[in-house]
Amino acid sequence: MNELIPLMVIIPIACGLLLNLLHKKDTAIKILAIVVAIVLPIIPLLSNYGLHYFGGHAPLIENPILLETLPSQISQSALAIFHPAITYSYESLQKLFIFVLGIVAFFAIFTSLNETKKVSGPYMFLMFMGTAAVTALLLSNDIFHMYIFFEIAALCQVGIILVSSTKENYETALKYMILGSIGGPLLLLGIGFILGAVGSVNISDIIYAINQNLVNPFSQTFLIGFGLILFGWLYASGLPPFHTIKSSIYSKALPHSAALLQSFTVVTFIAMGLVIFRIFSYLPFLKVIILVFSLIAMILGVTMAIIQTDIRRILGFLAVGELGYIGIGLGIGTTLSITAGLFQAVNEILITALLFIGFGTVFYLTNSSDTKKLGGLITQNPKIAIMVLLGGFAMAGVPPFNGFQSKLMIIESALKAGFPEISIIAVLVSIVTFMVFMKAFYSVYLKPKPQDLSIVNENIPKSTILSIAVLLIICLIIGLFPQLVTDNISPFVAGLI
Amino acid sequence: MIDIVIDTQLASLFTSAAFIIVGLFAAIFLDNIIKKIIGIAFIEEGANLFIVTLGYKPGGIVPIFLPGMDAEWFALNSAYPLPHALVLTSIVIGASTLAVMLAIAIVLYKKHGTLSTSEILGDK
Repeated sequence: MNELIPLMVIIPIACGLLLNLLHKKDTAIKILAIVVAIVLPIIPLLSNYGLHYFGGHAPLIENPILLETLPSQISQSALAIFHPAITYSYESLQKLFIFVLGIVAFFAIFTSLNETKKVSGPYMFLMFMGTAAVTALLLSNDIFHMYIFFEIAALCQVGIILVSSTKENYETALKYMILGSIGGPLLLLGIGFILGAVGSVNISDIIYAINQNLVNPFSQTFLIGFGLILFGWLYASGLPPFHTIKSSIYSKALPHSAALLQSFTVVTFIAMGLVIFRIFSYLPFLKVIILVFSLIAMILGVTMAIIQTDIRRILGFLAVGELGYIGIGLGIGTTLSITAGLFQAVNEILITALLFIGFGTVFYLTNSSDTKKLGGLITQNPKIAIMVLLGGFAMAGVPPFNGFQSKLMIIESALKAGFPEISIIAVLVSIVTFMVFMKAFYSVYLKPKPQDLSIVNENIPKSTILSIAVLLIICLIIGLFPQLVTDNISPFVAGLI
Repeated sequence: MIDIVIDTQLASLFTSAAFIIVGLFAAIFLDNIIKKIIGIAFIEEGANLFIVTLGYKPGGIVPIFLPGMDAEWFALNSAYPLPHALVLTSIVIGASTLAVMLAIAIVLYKKHGTLSTSEILGDK
């Protein structure tokens, strides 16, 4: 059933467009959005692994009859092996990430529909479109296609900020767009350099050309292309120097959309990171570069989180710090470390979504996310407070949650690969993460309630509580049975190495 | 007098480099939002021109295979169509990005009464 592969992208796009047209028809929007949100995590489970060629144009070598009719310049050269159409590749890793993304998208849409009084068609459109864009990034085996959906994902993120109607959202959106509009064309330019050298934008073709010595991978063309694509990757995933703008984006979004936005970031980080890893793995300095940026992201993320007073911004910076762990896994470059990094990515998507939705209830209750103005909210809803606390434990890597398993794997892989310094930094950053989280938790829930704190909404919707509970249960299950996730990652990593 | 002879592809590559450098300068160093946006458009067009240039073949023909053409001759003489197809998509993406940026600029101008980025963004 390889026909289902493109449907993972087509369905959310089609649904998004339809929702946009249904603007102001609230009931129709709610029903359609919920139905499609339920379908999103189901399609990857039903689809078989394999390749999907758009337009049915397989490489010429798979069609010997046609190949015979073509000139020898084509039939006896690499052109016969090259992919003439956009190709989607669907493997166990894609299945895992699209499934997790689907779950987060479902909960973000579910809570959004119940928390907001007036349902917005364009807002739903942007959430679905963003989900489709990052899904396409994961599936695509084509660097130009990657660029297209990179831009669409960036536009959707800006759109989500714009329709969130939070204070100073337009200013943040402008800043993000200016940086993005420099990062995007530079990424395109990098793709142009690779296209100029190889003659194809298909990743498998580029790797084939490098392995068969059809091109010189150490030529200036390739190195400039690498530098520009790396720049695009740093921007898209919010690694330094773009960590500040990325966390600003989260803080200007509504909590449920921030949960979705961070999942977009992690998936983009993984999708583009793996593309860079696959194409440029021959470069001796690639792993060092990834390690350096990841370590800076970890350290800057947690240190900047310490000085913040806005809970959404604290979470934003902690999310950047957590992203560093994934990068370390990729940067060390062993089978165990990459598996650990990708495992950490799955965990980060789930835990950060839980925390954004969990702390989002504070914003829903008080219309404020400033820790200086908050306090004593544990009496308002102790159940949510406990679940958020457990979510924080998961993020900091406390057993038996999933964060513990993946961080332990990363530390173990760093030690095995001969990088004890990285293990020490990872442990220290984990401790600081715990400290920062506890400080935020104390400020919001435990310290005495300020006199001037007014409660805007008394009751938190049951759908929000359900979302937090289910996400927490998923974190616990993965923590107890990590093989549920790692079994899906290991075959992919084995093929990658 | 010295005659400078430069081939079309090289001239095109130099033009795209000039576009990107001018665009980067405007996007990074100029304060006015509209000028920044124009700079960004320059970067985008520079990248597009660069990719179009890759498909250029001196003396090449339009890559449309017509009845009666010899396949071998066509393979040797036609321009490379892939970059041209890619650029079409890229132009659409660039146009939508510009539209969103201009829309944000309009809203911010109405809110702040200025187009100066430093005044609008302040220390944010």
